[in-house]
Amino acid sequence: MFNEINKSIDTAISLGAQYADARILISKSRDISSKDGELEDFSNSENMGLGIRALVGSSWGFYATYDLSDESLKEAGKKAYLIAKASSKVPGKDFPLADVPIVKDEYVTPHEQNPFKVSTTDQIDLIVSSTHEMKKIGSSRAFGRLNFWDTEKWFASSQGHEIYQNIIESGGGISSLSIGDGETQIRSYPQSFGEYRTGGWEVIQSFKFLDHVERISEESKRLLISPQCPEGTRDLILEGSQLALQIHESVGHAIELDRILGWEAAYAGTSHLELSKLNEHKYGSPLMNIVADATLPGALATFKYDDEGTPAQRVDIVKEGIWTGVLTGRDSAAIAGVSPGGMVRADGYGRLPMVRMTNVGLLPGDSSLDEIISSTDDGVYMETNRSWSIDDLRLNFQFGCEVGWLVKNGKITDMVKNPTYTGITPNFWGSMDMLAGEDEWIFWGTPNCGKGQPSQIGHTGHPASPARFKNVRIGVRG
Amino acid sequence: MKIWDNLIDDIGKLIPTDVECEIKMINSTESLTRFANSHIHQNVEEELTDIFLTFHADGKTTNLNLNITSMGSIEDIIKKALSDIGNNPKDSTWPGLTSKENSFNGYKHISSDDPDIRAQKVKEFIEQGQTYNGAGYCSSNVSNVFVWNTNGLNSSDTATSAFLDGIFRSETSAGSSHIGNKILNDIDAQKVGQEAFSITKESQNPEDIDPGVYEVILGPDAVSTILVFLSVYGFNAKSKVDGTSPIEINVEQFDEKINLEDDPHKTGALNFKIDASGAPKKKIEIITNGIPKNYFHTRRTANELNQSNTFHEMFGWGDSFGGLGTNLYLKPGDISKQEMISNVKKGIYINEFWYCRVLDPITQVVTGLNRNGSYLIENGKVTKPVGRLRFTQSFMSSLGQGNVMGVGSESRFADSEFGEGILNVPMLHLKEFNFTGGVSG
Repeated sequence: MFNEINKSIDTAISLGAQYADARILISKSRDISSKDGELEDFSNSENMGLGIRALVGSSWGFYATYDLSDESLKEAGKKAYLIAKASSKVPGKDFPLADVPIVKDEYVTPHEQNPFKVSTTDQIDLIVSSTHEMKKIGSSRAFGRLNFWDTEKWFASSQGHEIYQNIIESGGGISSLSIGDGETQIRSYPQSFGEYRTGGWEVIQSFKFLDHVERISEESKRLLISPQCPEGTRDLILEGSQLALQIHESVGHAIELDRILGWEAAYAGTSHLELSKLNEHKYGSPLMNIVADATLPGALATFKYDDEGTPAQRVDIVKEGIWTGVLTGRDSAAIAGVSPGGMVRADGYGRLPMVRMTNVGLLPGDSSLDEIISSTDDGVYMETNRSWSIDDLRLNFQFGCEVGWLVKNGKITDMVKNPTYTGITPNFWGSMDMLAGEDEWIFWGTPNCGKGQPSQIGHTGHPASPARFKNVRIGVRG
Repeated sequence: MKIWDNLIDDIGKLIPTDVECEIKMINSTESLTRFANSHIHQNVEEELTDIFLTFHADGKTTNLNLNITSMGSIEDIIKKALSDIGNNPKDSTWPGLTSKENSFNGYKHISSDDPDIRAQKVKEFIEQGQTYNGAGYCSSNVSNVFVWNTNGLNSSDTATSAFLDGIFRSETSAGSSHIGNKILNDIDAQKVGQEAFSITKESQNPEDIDPGVYEVILGPDAVSTILVFLSVYGFNAKSKVDGTSPIEINVEQFDEKINLEDDPHKTGALNFKIDASGAPKKKIEIITNGIPKNYFHTRRTANELNQSNTFHEMFGWGDSFGGLGTNLYLKPGDISKQEMISNVKKGIYINEFWYCRVLDPITQVVTGLNRNGSYLIENGKVTKPVGRLRFTQSFMSSLGQGNVMGVGSESRFADSEFGEGILNVPMLHLKEFNFTGGVSG
């Protein structure tokens, strides 16, 4: 396959590109969805193609094709060069690429059972029986889904990289929807939109959906008759998957170097962070230690090399509350004068690789959820995301959760519905005063991170354990 | 198109007679030139040919999605699909295939645009910004779709589109503009650049104002966001089937000034004239004088709700999404922007919404923010630019009876959180809109 890729790369270089790299991908996916005990969708997908990018002056030119004939591969190299060259009508400053090791290597995601070799009957039975059980015990609607990806990538560059990787990802989830008088309430497991990790069918088996159907069905019904989450300023305790999304939105996107440099300004936005304040800016409380770690076994954004051939690594992002690191690519790292962190990935062969979160997680503390609750006099414990919104500087956010629980005098008392909270990023993180430990630290995965134009969907990981935040505004309603 | 003709010729011969089969193909060239910090930094083109096969036999259904390169032998594909079907449970809502009589031939061979033309458009936009920092994209696309089935249907269509979307940024402000057209050469980049420049200039040094309930004037992109949310979560019949839609047909739910139609045949309309079932789309009323008239149906949702199909199946989206209108026009009124402003006692002009998310689908309470140009209006005049505000507001109520004070006289294609080119809308003047937070949270 590398011979094929090099036909494209050689053409781009021979025409005058400073640098070129390309990927051939074979991407398989399977989507299974169920509603109310019926199979709603069963789809297998497979596609194959090449994407090549060429650097000419200050711009990347990128071309992707499904046609892998010799003629087409050479034409792809030519088109990538010509597209980059067209950018010279509106040029910027030329930039170098940060140096990375030039390697020839292979990697396969560790897994026990490839999900594409497991009986589809077993997969369908699991998800259909889960929704059937929820429907049977009174859910207005019961939803379930499973998703699997098996991606083979061959990456080569004009500098001599030759890397083969086979990334296997699995995930899914179940939800119970209860419909009341002019309102709906939902409970999901393991988290809203499902939980996703690298690995095989064993990931799904570990979720034990059927052990949770009764609880989420009952909770969604009970929410309909529960009082509204009170409005006001209180202590907020977040369950791990909600904290994972809080990390994703208010830390993960803010530390993307392409955003900080203004490359995403018109669409996803920029960042409240300024590079000149790296190693000085106070991001949060001393309990806040964030790392971007693409080497965590089983986490969703774990691989051996990114889509520029840079080795996966662990990078400190926030240390004891101080901002120390960014997410980089070879181009942005060189421009900013920082080390490339292996954080560039593309959504399939047809998209330009760009800075992407890896496993951006909050390192565990030394407390526990039980201790956090028992030491809270007046607060709300919120579980499982329901809505999320944040401004384009990644400062002003508002989240809604599926369920809230009042905490009074160290004990969980009543269930409350429509819990929301809002805040400003550094103030919020600065108010974190308790953090659960490693026993409750879970590698939450987000399979639906949108970024870039044309639009790309990224898979990111966010290890987190429950935490408490002081004096947060909760209960915002329309 | 030769690839398509060969494909259906080969597959048609190999499908067993007791199997229903539908084949769809999307063949497209999507090109996008992206700029930031006032220069082009990313420039991409993708050529794709994706094939979507649906097989239904013995009351069971399976879907197989491939691109032309990964297809391998057609015999193997059919064998695999029929083997998958055997493992599946019965499909109780199978709606059947579109009849042969609905065949439509709209395919035309159109070449993709030269990247130099897009670069030139970007240059013309950036020049309007003078010293401001420009960012955005210019895209052009050629898309062909094909649908064949064992009922004998064979449909095709071709659509082209081009968009220029950009912002300028000063030290303290940003302003955006957007334009869409069928043809890249017809995009007026200077006009878009001038509009973004003016908004940026007028938005400098914004002041924070207290959150609360305000009158608002919404620019086309903000109006488009409200309507696309109502379309996806309300008028999409799948949400009705799932019990989460707030929309009730023939019930007075909106202000009488709201008239929304889906018209694929309107002059200048973008997108395909057939839906993913292969049937030609028709002009239909969605909201007439504030009264919802139709959901967006697929074959499956029409079957499940026992209603007539409206032919809004989306290419590449699957049954779990449902249907969506892609040629939506909100009927303009007769009020100019200046007249609208002069009618406001105390309110806010919002150019664009950002990062909107639904808190509860059935009430359509949504939270989000403003960006790229917002001003305070007092006693009929723009008095100052305003900073970031967060709203938490029911989109149903925002267009509810008595809340629409005026509808603008000029329309344009507007961007939305579900893509550009599907909504053509004017500005709206709304009586009340609930802002729940400011810069400090």
